[in-house]
Amino acid sequence: MPTFEFRGYTRTIARAVVDTMVPRWPDYEPDITDQVLRRVEQTVSRQPLAVQTLVTAGLWGLEFGGPAMGVGLMPLTRLDREARDARLTAIAHHPIPTVRRSVLLYQTLVNLCAYSMPEIEAFLGAHRRDWREDRRRFRDALLVLDEGRPLPPVPAALADPAIVEPARYLEVGFRPRREAEAPGNAPPDAPTEIVTPKPKSKPRAPRKART
Amino acid sequence: MSTARTVERTVERVISPAEFSGPLTLDCDVVVVGSGAGGATAAAVLAEAGLNVICLEEGAFHRTSDYSADIPEMFGRVMRNGGATAIMGRAPIPYLEGRCVGGSTVINGGMCWRTPEAVLDRWVSERGLGDLSARRLEPLFEEVERTIHARYQDAGSEGDNNDVFHRGATRLGWKLSKNKRNQIHCVGSNDCVTGCPSGAKQSAITTWLPRLWAQGGVVYTHCKVDKILTQRGRAIGVEGKIVDDPAGGAPRRFTVRARAVVLSGGAIQTPLLLLRNRLGQPCGQVGRHFTIHPNVKVAARFDHDVDTVRGAHQAWQCVEFDHKGILLAPGLVPLAFQSVGFNDFGARLAKRMREHHRYATGGILVDDHASGRIRLLPLGVPLVQYDVTQADQAAFHQGVGSLAELYFAAGALEVVTPFHGHPTLKSADDIRAMQRAAPRVEDTEYFTAHLMGTCRMDSQDKRGVIDPEGQLWDVPGLYVSDASALPGTIGVNPQVTIMAIALHIAQRLGERLSKRGAARVA
Repeated sequence: MPTFEFRGYTRTIARAVVDTMVPRWPDYEPDITDQVLRRVEQTVSRQPLAVQTLVTAGLWGLEFGGPAMGVGLMPLTRLDREARDARLTAIAHHPIPTVRRSVLLYQTLVNLCAYSMPEIEAFLGAHRRDWREDRRRFRDALLVLDEGRPLPPVPAALADPAIVEPARYLEVGFRPRREAEAPGNAPPDAPTEIVTPKPKSKPRAPRKART
Repeated sequence: MSTARTVERTVERVISPAEFSGPLTLDCDVVVVGSGAGGATAAAVLAEAGLNVICLEEGAFHRTSDYSADIPEMFGRVMRNGGATAIMGRAPIPYLEGRCVGGSTVINGGMCWRTPEAVLDRWVSERGLGDLSARRLEPLFEEVERTIHARYQDAGSEGDNNDVFHRGATRLGWKLSKNKRNQIHCVGSNDCVTGCPSGAKQSAITTWLPRLWAQGGVVYTHCKVDKILTQRGRAIGVEGKIVDDPAGGAPRRFTVRARAVVLSGGAIQTPLLLLRNRLGQPCGQVGRHFTIHPNVKVAARFDHDVDTVRGAHQAWQCVEFDHKGILLAPGLVPLAFQSVGFNDFGARLAKRMREHHRYATGGILVDDHASGRIRLLPLGVPLVQYDVTQADQAAFHQGVGSLAELYFAAGALEVVTPFHGHPTLKSADDIRAMQRAAPRVEDTEYFTAHLMGTCRMDSQDKRGVIDPEGQLWDVPGLYVSDASALPGTIGVNPQVTIMAIALHIAQRLGERLSKRGAARVA
C-alpha cells in the first residue's frame, strides 16, 4: 500500500489545519488531532500524485495566502486556535467560490476521518459498531427462519410480519424465532446465538465529559 | 428456487496475484474488463452460453466478513482513489466509483428501478434502438430483478429517517413510490456505502458472479488493463499491469488473449481506456455525452429524535415532480457522512452534531440536461468535466424548496440547504427568498454516484460509439457493457438499466460466439 506523509513545514501547516477542524465540545475535548492527521494522510496516500501535490500546495496557500485572500496577514500557523478558526471560517465564506473550496477539501477530509472514529461516535451516542454487530446476528436469525423455505418471488418482502413484528424490527437485541423455538422450547442445536437484549441504544444525550 | 443460504454458499473462483508468480498469460473466449453491474452480468451470461470467460478486476476481493466499520479504511479498500474523486467544472462534484470485485454494486444504495418507458421510447425513436424497447427489455428486466432480488424492504426495517419523509409527503398529498432494493432481509444497518455489513445487499458478488463461477469462469483481481490488443483492426485481447500487488516485488504484467473483449470499467474508466488506445475514434463520441444525475443533500432538524443510526438507506422516493425531472428522496447515512453535509468544521459543527439524532437527511436528484466529457490531457492525465446547466440549477432551486416544504410538513424546525449564502431555511418565506435569490451553480454543493453515457449506443456509426449489439462500430470483437453504453440519462437509479443492457449485449455476443464456435467444430 502506498504511503504518504506530510513532511517538514507542510506537516506543521497540516497539523494546524486539522487541529482547528477536529470536533470539540465545552465538556469534551478529544485529543485526536494526531490520529486524525494520520487518517487524513492515509486517505491522501490513495490519491494520484497530482491530487497529493494539490493537497500539499493548498496547505501552503492557506498558510501564506491570507493577504491575497484578504483575510489576514499572519501565516496561519502563527495564530492561536481561535484565530485560526476565524481565518479558516472567513476563507470558507469567501465570495470567490474557488477560494472557499480550498477549505472545503480539508474540512471534508477531517470531518470524515474524525466523525468515523469510535470514540466520537460513542460520545455522540451513535453506537454504529454495536449496531452493525447486532444486525448481523439479527439477519442470521432471519436466515435460519428462511432455511428450506423457497423465497417468495420478487418483489415481495421476505420477513413474515407474524414472526418478525415490524414494531420490533429495529430493536436492539430482538431476535425473531418460530413459536417452537420460543424461550424454553429452543432446540438444543439452535444454530444462531440468541444474545441477551441490550438496553435500547437509540442516540440520546451524550455522555459526560471525560476528566 | 434458491434460498438465501444457497446463494451465499457458492464457491468463489477469485484469483489474487498472491497466488501466482511472474507474469500472467491467459487464453479464453471472452475477457471482461471490470466486475461491476455491467461486467459481472455480461460475464455470467457469457459463461452460461458455454464460453470460457475471464473477468479482470482492478481492485481487490472483499467478503462481507472483511468489511470494517472504519469508513476511511473502507473507502480506501473499495473505492477508486479512496473515494476522493471529483468531476471538474464551475462547481467540483464529488463522486464515488467502486474499485473492487463487484464494483459499484458493492457501494451503492441498492435502489432497483426499471428504465422509465418514456426514456426507452425516446431511445427507440431518436437513436433507432429497437432492441431497447420496453417490450423487448421486459423479460430482461424480469431476469435482472429475479437475479438481484429486487424486493421491498421487510416491514419495520425502514427506520425513522424514511418514516419522517413518508409522513411529510403524505401530509402534502404528494405521490410516493416504494423502493425495491436488491436485498435479502436488509436489516437497517445503515452502512450501504462502504459495503453492506450484514450481507443483505445482493451485490454482483452474491448474484451474477456466482453464476459465472458455477460455469467455471474466474475473476482475477488487481489487474488493471492499459492496452487493448488488436490484430488487423480486430480486438484479440488485453494487456495490463498488476496493481497493489499483494505479493510485492517487481512490477508484473499480464496478457489475456480472447475471441472477444468486453469493457465494463464504468462511464469514466471505459472511455479513458479507449482514448488511451485510440480506439473508437472515427465517430468522435468517445467520452462525450457524460451525464451524472447530479444531486444535492439537505438535512432537516426536528424537535424530537429521528434515529440516525438505524434504518434503511432509502425506502421511498417522492415522484410528485417526476414530470419536471426532479426526484426527492430520504437518504440515511452514517454519522461521518452527515457531518460532511453540514459544510462546517470545528466547534460549530460539533455543536450541531451533538444533535445529530434530531436531523433527518434527504436529497434531490435531477434528471440532467447537461452533457460533460471525459478527456485525456497530455501525459495521459484524465480530466472529467461537467457543468450543471441553468435549467437544471432551476430544478435544484425548486427541488430543495419542495423537500424543505415536505420536511416542514413533517414538523421540521429548520432545513439545512446545500446553497452557500442560504445555509438554512426556517419557513415558507425563507424557501421563497431562496428561490428568488436563485443560488448559482458555483454556490452549490453537489454530489453524484450515477455516471453514464460516455460510449453511448446508437444505430448510426456517426452518433454513437457502439452499435445496437454493444460492439464498437470500428473495432470488431470489442464490446462495451457498462453505464457508459447508456444512450442517455434515465432519471432513476441506473443499476437495473445497466444490468438489463449488459444482459442484452451478452446474450447477443454469446449467441454469436457460440455459433461461430459450433461452426468451427463442424
